[in-house]
Amino acid sequence: MLVKNSAERALSAAVATGGDFAEIFYEDTKSSSLTMINDQTENATISRAHGAGIRVYKGFQSVYVHTNDTTEQGLIRAAAQAASAIGNETVAADIRLTGSIAANIHPIKIMPMDVSGQKRACVCHSATASAQSVSSDIRQVRVLLMGKESDITIANPDGLFIGDTRVYTRLSVTALASNGSENQTGSSNPGAMMGFELFDTRVDVDKAARDAAKTAVTMLNAEPCRGGVMPVVIDNGFGGVIFHEACGHSLEATSVAIGMSEFSGRLGQKIASEKVTAIDDGTIPNEWGSLNIDDEGTPTTRLVLIENGVLKNYMIDRLNGRRMGMPVTGSARRQDYTFAPTSRMRNTFIAAGTDEESEIISTAGDALYAKKMGGGSVNPATGEFNFAVQEGYIIRAGQIDRPVRGATLVGKGSEILLKIDRVGRDMKMAQGMCGSRSGSIPTNVGQPMIRVTDITVGGR
Amino acid sequence: MDVETFIRQLFDRAASEGFEACEADLRMEESFTVGVREGEISDYSVSSSQGLGFRGLVNGKMGYASTQVFDDEAVSLLVTGAKENASLIENADTQFIYQGDEAYPQVDIYNSAVDALTSSEKIELAKSLEKACLSIDPRVTRCQQVQLMTESSSRRLVNTRGLDVAYRGNTIGVYASVLAHEGADVTRGSSFALLRDPAQLDIEHVAREAVEEAIHYLQASQVSSGEYPVVLRYDVASALLNTFSEIFSADAAQKGMSLYKGREGEAIAAPCVSIVDDPLNPESPDAAPFDGEGVATRRTDLVKDGVLKTLMHNLRTAGKQGVCTTANASKRSYDSPVGVGARGMYVVPGAESLDQLLKRCGQGVFITDVQGLHSGANQISGDFSLGAKGFTIENGAIGRPLSQITVAGNFYQLLRSVKAVGNELKFGFSRVASPDLLIDSLSIAGK
Repeated sequence: MLVKNSAERALSAAVATGGDFAEIFYEDTKSSSLTMINDQTENATISRAHGAGIRVYKGFQSVYVHTNDTTEQGLIRAAAQAASAIGNETVAADIRLTGSIAANIHPIKIMPMDVSGQKRACVCHSATASAQSVSSDIRQVRVLLMGKESDITIANPDGLFIGDTRVYTRLSVTALASNGSENQTGSSNPGAMMGFELFDTRVDVDKAARDAAKTAVTMLNAEPCRGGVMPVVIDNGFGGVIFHEACGHSLEATSVAIGMSEFSGRLGQKIASEKVTAIDDGTIPNEWGSLNIDDEGTPTTRLVLIENGVLKNYMIDRLNGRRMGMPVTGSARRQDYTFAPTSRMRNTFIAAGTDEESEIISTAGDALYAKKMGGGSVNPATGEFNFAVQEGYIIRAGQIDRPVRGATLVGKGSEILLKIDRVGRDMKMAQGMCGSRSGSIPTNVGQPMIRVTDITVGGR
Repeated sequence: MDVETFIRQLFDRAASEGFEACEADLRMEESFTVGVREGEISDYSVSSSQGLGFRGLVNGKMGYASTQVFDDEAVSLLVTGAKENASLIENADTQFIYQGDEAYPQVDIYNSAVDALTSSEKIELAKSLEKACLSIDPRVTRCQQVQLMTESSSRRLVNTRGLDVAYRGNTIGVYASVLAHEGADVTRGSSFALLRDPAQLDIEHVAREAVEEAIHYLQASQVSSGEYPVVLRYDVASALLNTFSEIFSADAAQKGMSLYKGREGEAIAAPCVSIVDDPLNPESPDAAPFDGEGVATRRTDLVKDGVLKTLMHNLRTAGKQGVCTTANASKRSYDSPVGVGARGMYVVPGAESLDQLLKRCGQGVFITDVQGLHSGANQISGDFSLGAKGFTIENGAIGRPLSQITVAGNFYQLLRSVKAVGNELKFGFSRVASPDLLIDSLSIAGK
């Protein structure tokens, strides 16, 4: 536990050389994971990560030092190390902190670390059985069940000393279909900021496992996608990764503040088709990308990024807020104490529109239907993105024709946003891990079905 | 409590809880990163971390637990946690805690000159890299990211069967990515170097590579979709091999995740392809004298003249198949379980230079960058479909720049369709490397 008096002394040491702000992020995390392959538990682990990171600011500069030694001496040593890198003045500081606990908007019923290994194995066995039942072509089912309880405390010279507990549970099912000479996989990865009640309330293990297996079997019988430029219909749920990659990253202050985003300096301008309203919301109860407070201690928010095509807000952390002269948006996030935080997405989605899903497909002509998306990446400076289609179909003359595999979408975010000509009514979210400068963090992506008039589709 | 006391208490407690044997994997790491932008420090981080991974055998099953705190509570957590975890294991494979080898190789992976660099020397190096990037071409006016990092780590593996081995190593690395502007066109280029010896750091060279890459892509366009002969630049070939390196894992094969299962002795690649794993090569960041289970490392021929010689094994996969381990037990971090992985895998260089490969190619596409390896490559099927950049190859020489294209194929087929291997090998940030490769045909999608 972080002791308040120790935090006060460490913060005083952190600003003792002329730093104008400092922050301690303390973390104690317990996690468990269980891996099952073909109905046999292969591996089970439990681990405890523990440490603190101290950040000192001076103007637009910042220094970050982290350590596993969270005794008062250890914290002061780390603070002094950071202080010596940021300045050489001598400043006396007397910092007083007021303790508080973050208001919890994400109730937890069953703490994951209290769940027995047998119970966890039981969920994995049932997922395996469901996936195997789909087809005899399913040759392997890999199930991973992860649980995590993270206690954090954040302190800064404004007097903040706030604690929170973050609880996560996630199931990953990967099914492998094989016909002897070829293998294809499908996966399903539902999770939430929740305890083990996830499986009583939100996630249907049977359905999740079957979905993974069905994708694998469908793709086994699919022919390779032929490349070229064509209209693309992207389904709801994980399809939202297109917005996440093609636009979301470029709206993070991390790249906006230093003019490294194609959307820098474009607030109030039309950057997307008027059909597009996009939101980044950390307040949705128990969602995978939700928070109570961000990793700088600011309460999380619901932020409209784009409204009817017009850019309304960026996601802003404290350091980049200084660079931009703008207030924070509760968007500072980090993987753990080993990373300095920066602005990141939470639950980011294109809001429901008014178009009929059946019409979106029937008027698409010859197109690609991306039913399930895989992951992707983007360079915010140029806006160039790429992502994989996990389960795709060819649309011929407005009819879904046959499955195709190996499709990739490439393009520039700013161009794609303007080319969205349909936004459906049924918005769904899906869980992902987003990797960027401050590490890998849980985020939701989401959207209704959308259609893009043309994208370069890679295939062979 | 101090580490020695902690390990002793841990082993004593484990013995009294019925563990037949157990092992502690202790890692310490110090790292330093500085980023500069416009001559000022943009980010600066110093870290020291430690972690201990514990694993032990109870009733023939292996249980794992790990901690970053070394106190009484941690002893309990590790022993009770690992015991419960062991009780859950249903896989019947024989598990091993290794007693150690007679001798271990010397691997030259520690250089005191890295640890001797002061913070201000490192900051100056990073600043000089940014300056160098901005003084080469007027179209490059900004750097996206310029960083210098040093890392120093140590590892000790100690168990109740008498093994107690350790090593330490360090590296220095620099990275630069730059933006080039021409009219409305913005392109990005990047370069990095990872070294054991700071004296070999060539700032000018890194800057030039990044800048040239950015300006080469200005006014890039697409190419017509189709099948093309392709030259994969060494870094692209390395990234692809790295992504698919697991297909050479016996663990993956035994689980049906690699099509090389039971194919030892068969031709699986073009005759010009030989692939080696050499954990003793200090140019690999993962070079080490012993593997994740404490077995002395050695060079292994995986593919020789196109024929699959062996897959990579650890003690468990080797035991299962009745062969010897190739000392490829991986354990990425103190808290990861033992698996199988490459430590210094590379495609053995051939005789031809890049110019000669381009000449042989005649008309085709030179791929110099791929994106989306984490999402667009299926390690199990071998299929990949990736965003790419590069150049046309026209009349045996580099032609016009290409961007927003994709390259697609199947890695198993790719190894069969290698026509020539280049003569230069460079390990980067990766534990896997390849020279430039000339490939018979890959699918390129563009306009």
